[in-house]
Amino acid sequence: MFRAGDRVRVLTDVPGGNPRTPHYLRGRTGTVVRAHGVVENPLDHHDPYPPLYTVAFPLPGGDETVADLHEEWLAAE
Amino acid sequence: MHIHDPDGHVAAVEADFEYFRRKRLESRVLHFLRRGVITFADLLRADAEPERPAWADREWPDADAPIRYVEDELDRLVRGIAAATVPHAGAAPVAIDDTRKERGDYDPFFRIATRGLGEGSLDERLARLDAELADSHRLLDAFTRALLARGRVTEEQLAQRREQLSTVGHHNGARIVARAWVDEEFKRRLIETGRVAVRELDIPPGRLGRLGVAENTADVHNIVVCTLCSCYPHDLLGNPPWWYRTDEYKQRIVAEPRDTIRDMFGLDVPDGVQVRVHDSTSDVRWMVLPRRPAGTEGLDEEALAALVTPESLVGAAVVPPPEA
Repeated sequence: MFRAGDRVRVLTDVPGGNPRTPHYLRGRTGTVVRAHGVVENPLDHHDPYPPLYTVAFPLPGGDETVADLHEEWLAAE
Repeated sequence: MHIHDPDGHVAAVEADFEYFRRKRLESRVLHFLRRGVITFADLLRADAEPERPAWADREWPDADAPIRYVEDELDRLVRGIAAATVPHAGAAPVAIDDTRKERGDYDPFFRIATRGLGEGSLDERLARLDAELADSHRLLDAFTRALLARGRVTEEQLAQRREQLSTVGHHNGARIVARAWVDEEFKRRLIETGRVAVRELDIPPGRLGRLGVAENTADVHNIVVCTLCSCYPHDLLGNPPWWYRTDEYKQRIVAEPRDTIRDMFGLDVPDGVQVRVHDSTSDVRWMVLPRRPAGTEGLDEEALAALVTPESLVGAAVVPPPEA
């Protein structure tokens, strides 16, 4: 489990993991900004995925990209 | 590419039309035929050739008008398909994405054909789109009449469904924004709970994952993208603008958002204001809560909502102040 403020790294490959993890973020390091818990989304996937986090990734110049990623794709940094 | 790029705009309409024709209209008609909900003869009996003027004879007030016209015709087709598919006996879910089989990955025999709509000059493309759209409308009309003739749907069900669909659109997004501008407590609930708070405005909460609300402030300008496909809370807010689905937008916005916003939308985000890009997925679909423009102190919610544009809901524009 991660909490807001935790530094995390996105894994490069998770066999069987949620395939909707954007490729351009894989391997990058970011900061958890919100923990959503397990999100039920029966329209898009039948089984619940591991907990979901909103993670912010820094861009040059102080801007950032924010994406919602599942725990299986994240490692503590 | 720029937001006023006519080639890109027409290409987006072409791509959307092909998708709705193949995956939402024709596949549904075939599905119903195969299940025996209606028959081919029903379709033939229900067919009527519509009258319409030749493309070359039409007059347009400006260069964008024909593009808006085909876009509106597509919108009408999409709503018509949704209205005609009232849940009823014989209906079953139809896969909405191209399956590998339909792409011909395993066997070209099963491939669903696509057509080259993008060839030729802009005017040729528009004329072709107009003709193709008219053909699809003709099929949809026959399909709807055949369902009625077979008693699979009733006029009342259709009317009710059209009424439901007429309230869908960016209008709902605008109402959410206007309420958040006048009611701090609602804004807090909206950001915290998303879809749950939306119910307070009598907007159906929908079923498409979570709603993320990114609030623009004096320090942060938010913008939304879906790099994987085109996730957007369209069940709540209506469809995103056409360029939202273009590869160029998806690729550039996550790499150099500030320059992309300036080049594509002519919007300069001031130095010192952070640009935050939200990459939507099917689990969290994002909308932007734009800043309330100056000079709107005396306006009520309805007047405020009228100021909100679809572009401002994804962060590609700021909400303009009311015209003096």
